[in-house]
Amino acid sequence: MLPLEYDRSQDRDIVVRDRFDNFRRDFLRTLVTPEMIEEHRRSPLGQHSERLERLLIYFRQRPLDERYAVKVVEPFRKYQVVRLSGHRGTSPRVVDEAIYASANEACHGLFLRCIRDLLEA
Amino acid sequence: MAQIKIFGYADKISVKPGDTIQFHVSADGTSTAEAHLVRLIHGDEHPHGPGFIEEEIDCVANGTWRVEKQFTQVGSFLEVADPDRKLALDGSITLCAFIWPTWPDVGHRQCLLGRWDNDKNRGYGLGINPSGRLEFWVGSGNEVDYLQTELPLQKQAWYFVAATFDARSGRATLYQEGVMNRYNSLLSKVAPVEYRSHVSEVFRFGQNNLSDTPFLVAGSRDWHALRGHFVSQLYCGKIDRCGVFDRPLGRDELDVIRSGGQPPSYGMVAYWDTTKGYTDHGIGDVVVDIGPNRLNANGHNRPVRAQTGYNWNGRNDCFRLAPHEYGGIEFHADAMIDSNWKVTKRLELPETLRSGAYAMRVRGGDGKGLAEEYIVFFVRPRVPSGRIALLFSTATYIAYANERFATDGHIVQPMAGQPPTISEVDIEIYENPEFGGGCYDSHADGAGICYSSYRRPMVNMRPKYRISAFDLPWNFPADLSILAWLEHKGYDYDVLTDEDVHREGVAAMAPYACILNSTHPEYHSERMLDAHEDYIAGGGRFICMGANSFCCNVAFRDDEPWIMECRKTGGHWIAWAARPGEYYLATTGQMGGIWTGFQRWGQKLVGNTFAGEGFAHSQPYRRMPDSYDPALAWITEGIEGELIGDFGLGNGGAAGIEIDCYKLGFGTPPNTKIIASSGGHPDNYIAHDEEGAHAHQGFSGTHNYILRADMVYFEAPNDGAVFATGSIAFGSALPINGFENNVSQLLSNVVNAFVRPGPLPSLLHKLQPSTGRTENVA
Repeated sequence: MLPLEYDRSQDRDIVVRDRFDNFRRDFLRTLVTPEMIEEHRRSPLGQHSERLERLLIYFRQRPLDERYAVKVVEPFRKYQVVRLSGHRGTSPRVVDEAIYASANEACHGLFLRCIRDLLEA
Repeated sequence: MAQIKIFGYADKISVKPGDTIQFHVSADGTSTAEAHLVRLIHGDEHPHGPGFIEEEIDCVANGTWRVEKQFTQVGSFLEVADPDRKLALDGSITLCAFIWPTWPDVGHRQCLLGRWDNDKNRGYGLGINPSGRLEFWVGSGNEVDYLQTELPLQKQAWYFVAATFDARSGRATLYQEGVMNRYNSLLSKVAPVEYRSHVSEVFRFGQNNLSDTPFLVAGSRDWHALRGHFVSQLYCGKIDRCGVFDRPLGRDELDVIRSGGQPPSYGMVAYWDTTKGYTDHGIGDVVVDIGPNRLNANGHNRPVRAQTGYNWNGRNDCFRLAPHEYGGIEFHADAMIDSNWKVTKRLELPETLRSGAYAMRVRGGDGKGLAEEYIVFFVRPRVPSGRIALLFSTATYIAYANERFATDGHIVQPMAGQPPTISEVDIEIYENPEFGGGCYDSHADGAGICYSSYRRPMVNMRPKYRISAFDLPWNFPADLSILAWLEHKGYDYDVLTDEDVHREGVAAMAPYACILNSTHPEYHSERMLDAHEDYIAGGGRFICMGANSFCCNVAFRDDEPWIMECRKTGGHWIAWAARPGEYYLATTGQMGGIWTGFQRWGQKLVGNTFAGEGFAHSQPYRRMPDSYDPALAWITEGIEGELIGDFGLGNGGAAGIEIDCYKLGFGTPPNTKIIASSGGHPDNYIAHDEEGAHAHQGFSGTHNYILRADMVYFEAPNDGAVFATGSIAFGSALPINGFENNVSQLLSNVVNAFVRPGPLPSLLHKLQPSTGRTENVA
């Protein structure tokens, strides 16, 4: 049963996308394992296992305002994780105080946040 | 204390010693800045390379500059030249236009046409009000009377709209009729949408005109205490033929215009026929008034011409075929092609300046972060002296200017195979529309940006900058790795830019025995492409250093080379798609899009071109059998083993990011040899859709051998030759290990052979195999 507030959205495409993503998330949650998270920690970029690639593709396709980014605090030294606004003119917001020593480490911190969002959704 | 921010640009991108160059700087938080001329040598700060390298240069402009906050007029509009104030109509009036609004519900007033002062509330205007309805208003200074239609306007629907005002009775009317056909609008007639509205009211007073208010189309005059007059109430959408009459036209007369009939001459003050003045070679910025007063209008921030009009019926796809169907002029509230800032400093460049990539470094406060600006320009020699030229891809820089992939691009994370890594300046340009976009962005109303220019700050044409979507040096800062390699190896070289090649053709290239281009030579005008072809065929030796080479077709006007037009069409490898019927460049009349659409594949020029792209991880090349041919052994001389470039600042390999491949069916010269090739790229590398008529599974890197960078070589007529790397990442591999590596060795072998007068080593080998050894002769 879809919530009634969908009736107030003129763009019905959003209704379909949300239902599709609900099904997709049900499956993706079954892929999350400590081994897969460790695989990402070791190598955030490049070719991954099929199950990790599938998760990453989902995370990268979220609506812009649900996506995260890495923010450079100091090049090659300090990085943070931010969340995009999805609205031109509104800057991304910092999601927590964690500082990472490399872009790759921040990329993994971002991934863990995506995993948490997925498991909590 | 306010944060210090410094931004600037130069009026020219390519200069010679002794030329005068102007710098335009805007500063927040400071009234002074320290300026110093520098020669740029390396731009990538990656810790695995040599880091950022600049050389300070003495010049009279070095020192403390007075700087100030400068303002930028964004938004495209037309201003009517009306010195005799023919449009300062005090009595009855009619305003009419065909319109196609793209963002009627933006939430603030948009002025379609009028002589309206937004600050003083005087004059008259026809526009769209904050509720998205057509509105007519007159202002006396003390008060404003408004009349609005009953229905909001639909986006991307053609209407004929008019406002009439009878000064004797005070009666104002609004006329709104849809003029949709089967092709010209977003919706068809099966959608039960009401477009018609006719309303009338008696106003309490008439308009009271100021003497100096300009008549504007797509905006209205405004005032701010710091910046003075500017234009606000900017409109998003198209306007086709529009006019002004000094009497209230009757409904029947308006019906005639709506139906395509001639507007009445009786009472006509101005009627802008937006289809007049077209030529087979393009459309300018002047919009012709066919009325009795010849009150032509001039475009600001380049309103987009050559757009389909209210009567476009789908049969013709170009303004050259049916100009009367192409009366649409498209306006955008965030269009920006010239910051038009005041000049901060003029500099006559020292005569002793050697050719190179330069910047005026401008720092405020501590000079960190946004308090540091590099205004980049290129210096050619007054007389070419070196045997080598490094050709900087300034057209590509303009195309990517101020791109907002990371923050605005829905598809960019799946393309990049990674989350974006954004910096302070990315956030600055995301927050502030005054920087304008490039040809990879869309206007806020959703339309693609087809004009980009270098007469505004280009934050990504700077040393140190890393593109946020891919966390890499991109274009100019990456190209500096090639320059740094030439410096390190001690070659005597000059620099050239795309602008030089566009303006001078092959004459700009001909003095050089060997030309290396850049990591991403993607955008080329027809003149540039012709010049390259003639240079190589005429005996030039060309090294194509990058990938996605010679793909996109762009145009420049002779009198404004800082502005580039780009229409995105053809295939799926485009940031946005030109609308149906709007594929042709208003600048030249030529079809836009990719050179593939003209049977001028990059392979015909340099042996390889676009195979695909991905940004997650780069690969090494593996030597191919041709590299072991004794006649070609000079290319890989001194290289041990099979792998070339299993390292690099561009994601860990010399082959990657964007990659080009050999293809006989697309015109690779039949004598081309593949020296080395990559493969097995990650699956976020997707093959160019020319590889198959239908998208299908197996298009990606680990499945598809097409996804590879081919390092190719062929000999051209008249002792000419081409070596092409097929990879954007190639240049970023050069600086590894202090420039001592097998990619560097291989490039040295090729450059040394190419600059040496006389036959190429392969030909010498055929005559006398023992003479194939190369040496540095530059």
